[in-house]
Formats: sequence, C-alpha cells, structure tokens
Amino acid sequence: MYLTKNRAGSRLQIVLIFCLLSPLVLAGQTISPEATKHWNAARRDEAQKQFAPAVSEYRKVTELEPTFAAGFVSLGQAVMEQHDFASAVAPLKHALELDSTLVPAHQLLGYALLAQGYAVEAIQHLERAHEQGALGIAQVQTGQFADAITNLQAALQKRPNDPDLLYYLGRASGLLSKQSIDTLLAAYPDSARASQAMAENYFVLRQMPEDEKLYQQALQQRPDIPNLHLELGQVFAATSRWPQAEEQFRAESKIQPGNAEAAYRLGDALLHQGKTKEARSALERADKLQPQMPETLYSLGKADLLEGNAPAAEKCWLELLSIEKEGELAAQTHFALAALYRKQGKTVDAEREMKEFQKLQNNGASPPS
Amino acid sequence: MLDRLLQIVCVLLLLAPVNTGGAPQFEVHTPRGIDFTLQNSPTAKKYLIETMPGGVALLDYNNDGLLDIFVVNGGRISDPMTVPENFDRHNPRYWNRLYRQNKDGSFTDVTEQAGLANVSDGNYGMGVAVGDYDNDGYPDLFVTNYGKNILYHNNGDGTFTDVTAKAGVAGGGWSVSAGFFDYDNDGKLDLFVTRYMEWDTQHSKDCGGSFHTYCPPGEFPRTTNILYHNRGDCTFEDVTEKSGMAAKKGHGLGVAFADYDGDGFTDVYVSNDGMQQYLFHNGGNGTFTEVGMEAGAALNVDGGPLSGMGVVFQDYDNDGLPDVIVTTLPRQTYAVFHNDGNGSFSDRGLQTGITMLSGVTSGWGVGLEDFDNDGQKDLFVAQGHVLDNVEKIDPSLHYLEPVLLAMNRGGRFEPADPGTAALMAARGAAFGDLNNDGSIDVVITVLGSPPQVFMNRGGGAHWLTLTLRGTRSNRDGLGARVQVNGQTRFATTAGSYESASDKRLHFGLGSAKTAKVDIFWPSGIHQVLNAVTVDQFLEVREPER
Repeated sequence: MYLTKNRAGSRLQIVLIFCLLSPLVLAGQTISPEATKHWNAARRDEAQKQFAPAVSEYRKVTELEPTFAAGFVSLGQAVMEQHDFASAVAPLKHALELDSTLVPAHQLLGYALLAQGYAVEAIQHLERAHEQGALGIAQVQTGQFADAITNLQAALQKRPNDPDLLYYLGRASGLLSKQSIDTLLAAYPDSARASQAMAENYFVLRQMPEDEKLYQQALQQRPDIPNLHLELGQVFAATSRWPQAEEQFRAESKIQPGNAEAAYRLGDALLHQGKTKEARSALERADKLQPQMPETLYSLGKADLLEGNAPAAEKCWLELLSIEKEGELAAQTHFALAALYRKQGKTVDAEREMKEFQKLQNNGASPPS
Repeated sequence: MLDRLLQIVCVLLLLAPVNTGGAPQFEVHTPRGIDFTLQNSPTAKKYLIETMPGGVALLDYNNDGLLDIFVVNGGRISDPMTVPENFDRHNPRYWNRLYRQNKDGSFTDVTEQAGLANVSDGNYGMGVAVGDYDNDGYPDLFVTNYGKNILYHNNGDGTFTDVTAKAGVAGGGWSVSAGFFDYDNDGKLDLFVTRYMEWDTQHSKDCGGSFHTYCPPGEFPRTTNILYHNRGDCTFEDVTEKSGMAAKKGHGLGVAFADYDGDGFTDVYVSNDGMQQYLFHNGGNGTFTEVGMEAGAALNVDGGPLSGMGVVFQDYDNDGLPDVIVTTLPRQTYAVFHNDGNGSFSDRGLQTGITMLSGVTSGWGVGLEDFDNDGQKDLFVAQGHVLDNVEKIDPSLHYLEPVLLAMNRGGRFEPADPGTAALMAARGAAFGDLNNDGSIDVVITVLGSPPQVFMNRGGGAHWLTLTLRGTRSNRDGLGARVQVNGQTRFATTAGSYESASDKRLHFGLGSAKTAKVDIFWPSGIHQVLNAVTVDQFLEVREPER
C-alpha cells in the first residue's frame, strides 16, 4: 500500500532527525594539515551553529581529501542541519561508496531520504543503522505495518512515551487492522466475522439500525463467537434500550463467564434499569474477575448506595480514588462522595469532596453531560 | 372553620366513556376551530431562536368555566436578518392566538376581538405566563419574546389591553419562560422571567461544518433572569439586582416555583441549558440565594452539567415535598431531583426509571399530573431534538420524536401509550382539564405544525379539583401548598417550558369516596376541609380571619 506523506508527518520526521544527529567520529583516517585546518574550522562553526560556513569548510575538506569518507558524512550532516535534505544525499551516498560500512552515513542518508518521502530507499539504510524508530516510520509509509509495529514498539522501549513514536505506532496498528479487515471482507463477505467487522464500523458512525442488523446476522451464523453479544449489547446501550442490552450482556456472560467487561456491562445495564440488587451482584463479579477497575468500582459504589449500603459505596469510591486521582472518573467520584457525605450530615467532608470535584473540573476533567 | 367556607360545588356528568384500565386513554387531535400553525420560520442561517418557541397557556379568560387556549407564535425571520431587527407579525399567520372554548368542545378564534392581534409586531415570540396580577378575578397574560415582552391586562369583558409600558415589564434581550408567583407573600403576584443568553441575529453563529447547524449555548455569553416585584398599583419594580438574582447569570430556559424547604416562602428553580441548574432559595426578606450546588439539585448524578429545558417542581412520590424534574437533551437523561427534606435533593433518575426512559430523547414541556386518577402523579414530556438536522451529526438521534407518557407506579415511572406514535418537534406543554370531566388533558405546541390536544378519556377512579380563592393571599392562591388524602400539590400556573397550565389543582383519588383537604395558604393560614365529596370542582375561599 502506498501512503501519501502528509505535512505533519514530514515535520515529525524532521524533529526525529535532529534529535538523533550526533557528532561523527573521524574514522581513523589521516588527512593533510591544510585539510585538518578546514576540518577544525568546520567543527568550530558547527559548535557555534554556523552551518553555512561549516558546509563551506567541509566542502573544502572533501575537495582536498576526496577519499576521506568522514568528510562527506560531516558535509552531509551540516547540509541537513540547514534542512536541505536533498543536497545532503549526494555527499552521504559518496561516503558510502568510499566505505559502505559507515553506520553514521547510513543513518543520515536514511533520514535524508525519509524526510523527502523516499521511504522505500530509506529503509535499507535505516536497517543498516539499526534506527528502529525511523525504520518503523518508513515502514508505515510503505505499508509494512506488522514490521513497523515491531520496530516502533522496540523504539518505544528505549524512548517510552515519545509522542511521535506513539502516534506512528497507533497509526500502524490501525492500518494493519484495516488491512486485515479488508482482506476478510474481500475473501469472506458473507461470513459472521465480516458482518461483525462491518457492524463495528457502523457503531463508530452511530448508524445503529444497520449496526444492529449486522450483529444479528453474525449471531445467526455463529452464535458462539465471543464478544458478539457484548458488542450488540453496546449498540442497545447506546440507544438506551437497556432491557435488550441486558439480554445481550447476559448471553455474553454465559459464553464468557470469565470476561470482566461482560460482567461490568451487565451490571451497568441493570443499574440503568434500577435493578440495583442484580446490578450489584454482576458488578461484584466483574470486580472479582478484574479487580481495581475504576469503572467497575464507580458503578459498584452507585449500586451499593442505591441498595442503602452507604459504607460499602464509600469504600468502593475511596478505593477508586486511591487508584485514579485525576480525570473524569475521579471528578465524578468526588462528586458522588460529596453527595453521600451531605446526606450523612458530614458537611466538612462534603465540602472537601466538592472542592476536589471542582478542582478536577477546572483542570479539564469534564464529567459526562 | 367549615362554616366559614364558601363552597361552590359543580359536579359534572362524566359524559365520556369510562376507562377502567390502568393507563389513561388519550384521543389526540387538533380540535375544531383551531387553525394555528407555529411559525418558527427556519432559515439557512440557523438563527438559534428558530428552534426555541413556543408556549401555550390554558386559562379561562372569560370565567365561563371552560379552559381556553392561548398559543404564542414565532414570527417571520428574513434570511438573512438585517438591522434593525424586525420580525414582521402583520400577517395573521404570525399572530399569537387566543381560542375561546365553546360548550361543544370546539374553539373559536377570538384573537382580534380580544385585542391580541398583531400586538407582538417586531418581536419574535417565545412563551407565556398566566396570573391575575391585579387580583380582579380575571387572568392576565404575559408574553415573552426575543425582543420586548408584553403584559396584557384582562379587562374582564373579553378584551385585553397592552399595559407593558405602564407596568414596566418590557425587559429585553431573549426572554423564554416566565411565571407569576408571590415571593414576598404580600398578596400580589410578582413576575419572574428567564432569559437565555446574550445573542442577536447579527452575532449569531453557525456551528456546522459541511452543513449548517444551531450552536450550543456555550457559544454565547450568559445573561441574567429578571425578577419583578408587584407594587400593587399595576406597576412592577425590577428587583433583579436588589433581590440577588442578578448575581447568577445563566442560560435560563424553564422556571418553576415551590417552597422546597417549608419556610413559607416560595423558591425558584431555573433550568439552564448546558450548565448547572439554579435553585434560588427565597430568604423571606426580598432576597434570594442560589443554592443548587449545595442542595444537590444543580448537576446530574455524575456531576455533569445538564441541558436543562423544561422543569416541573411538584411532589412525585407523595412525601409532601416538592421534587424537581428537568428535561434535557439526549445522552444526559432527564434529571429527577428528589427532595430529601433538610433542604437537600438527591438524583433519583435510576430509581424512578426516568433514566431509562430518556436516554435518547430531548425534553421540553413537562408536567407531573395524575392522568389516571390513581393518586400518583404521572409524567408527560413534549419531545423533539433541538437540531433539525441532528441525524447528520448522530444518526442514532432524531429531530422528530414521540411524546413521552410515563405512569407513576409507586414512585417508578413506566412508559404508556399517549394516544399517538406521531413523531414531532414538540416544545411547549400545558396541562388542565379542558372538558371538565375530571381527567387532566394536555396541549402541546409543535414547530411548524398545529398544536396537539391530548384529550384524556378518563377512567373509573375518583378525583377532586380545587380552585383556590385567596383573600389575604393572592386571589388565585398561587404558592399555596395543598394536601388531599396524602397527596401534595403546589399551586402554580408556571413550570413546563414557556407555558402556563390551568390554575386549578387536580387530585386523583383512586377509590376514595371522600377527601380531607389541607390548604396552607401563602398568608400562613392553614385551612382544613374534612369529608369533602369527591368527583367535583370545588372553589375554596381563604378564611379572612
């Protein structure tokens, strides 16, 4: 698959390139005193971020020492510092003609090519340089999604939470998923899985009637597929058809008794119908299957409160806040605790929780409206 | 005490077929003689006012014992609007209308003869409030507009006079709902007006991308509501600042009144769009304090803001305390703020089943009325999304929606057949017994369509309808707390959305053969009537002491 490089992508790649540029080491070659003079002048200019004179000095080095590979590498690097990726390619390629094992030349050439959209050509150089981050990005561009995911994940191990790497990993995963689904739809258009895949798309588009129909089709063909009932239940939940949602979540829980999400969603559907006792039971099961899930704890607290068990509700919500201190759910929980304390006449506690709620709201947490 | 009462008993024959089933049977139609279409004049510019009208009032303007219908019209909107703004109302299709009910249940358009034709010219109509502000025994009309509001004095001879200028209640900006109430218990009705936002057609916005759509309220500055104090000389004083109301700007749409904390002074609940709701506690000294957040009646159960539109402030669970139901946009569910006593509320959306009934609907006019006379107040909501192209944004939502009728079964509301599955963009809703058969009927307004009347064909259960005749209190006893066989109603014509309901207080009594009536008048007088005969309309006069 060919991907058009977008402007944002280019920007990100340039950022990556300059993060990774590092001073190159002379490869043990001896050069003339005059060339050394120009070399040192170039290095001084570079240190002072004077790249135009540095380029001029490196160019003199390469003219005086035409077999000095490191000179061409440095020239290429200085040119790239000026964001002139096209002009960097020739000296870097020449450096590799002189010494094909020169890793920095591969690294820089890979980046220079990638920055200009020549992802296919860049890959071989980035592979040689073991630049997994940039390699992963290049592979996203060339449609090698599985390899891209592997390389980006490896790069993220070294640079966790790097926003560029995270972005491309997400993009690669999404595109790989789409590729698989496209294959599925092309090869088995009438299969239950094809219906499920299409239904998932309709769900995102909130086209619920079509969505429901496809899930029902899939269930008719293969009622035993895990998650089908769960997903259909979510369609019903999204349209406030809670009894139907309950039915589907129950069916999923029967197929997958160990699935905490199915138990949680069943509890939530029951809660929406005011069936608090049953809801509590399902939510407790979800909590056992996957402890310390904030969503489960929040709903369980609600169910406890509706059942008249304020201490249990308080316990759930305090546990939630020990896990999750920021964000929407934490804000909601402080609000719920404030209401609970207010009912108990604990004015000071209620005010404290309201302040926490308002603080989180001001910080950007926006409980569902 | 009984011997001092003036009781006028009007027992009417129940001509309609008796429904002995659980749910009421409604016959839905536009009655003969009503030729009104709500002209909201939608434009490509998507001026927000277009989707917000219009109100409806049920009042007996000529005191003939039959409820009449007043409907507020929008107006003509040029596309695009130019300055100075002018919503041409000369064409009769843009007039507000007053329909007098005839004895046969049909209606006659008396707009012109009543002096109400063409009178809102230049303004774009929104809502209506009804109250006898001068205590002369005839209900007066207050019409809210985008523009200047208008107070019509009922002359008692079938005509009205525009007394806005003299009364000093023109206001301005974008007024939506209004209501008469006596906040200082001086026996004269005061007036509260909600206002939506600071907006005009030249500062309108289009929030669509590839298509045009109306903007949410957060795109525009908040504004103040208005409180007018009735001086008693047919003029009003704007006490918005003095009363403390001005301290809280909002996006006010609906308003309802009740004394939630039993201190003898009527409080004010304002439904705000896209933000917290306001509960204004009446301090009894002419000032109000907004306590919604502290009272637990401002946000939804998860601490989220509400797109509050309509509001009702009545006791749904017969515990004697007024609760609040706020209608909202989809994905929020209607808020049910149960009055827990001690001045605080708790969200009971889940327990009442209302959460389940309102996940994907948009509610406007709303009422808590006992439609099947079983002694429990049921819920009626006029529904329809605010965006006329919402399907483009979210295909699972719809502009046109059915109305919601939910029967109260021991505090839990269960959906019932309202008599029609028709989809519409309903807005205002007013409640009252149109044909005096002892069953509550409903009139709703619909954008671009005629009003719909839901005639309740009644049932076998007993009922009692009270008309309050204040002497020390305001003449209609608005603000009185009335208890009948364990049920409580707060006398008001306000609530719902942009609408005014019958001032009479209706109680379903189930199988009870007699009723005990307790009236707590705004004057502080507690009046008791024992062994009252059921199935009657009873006027109760406040003891003069």
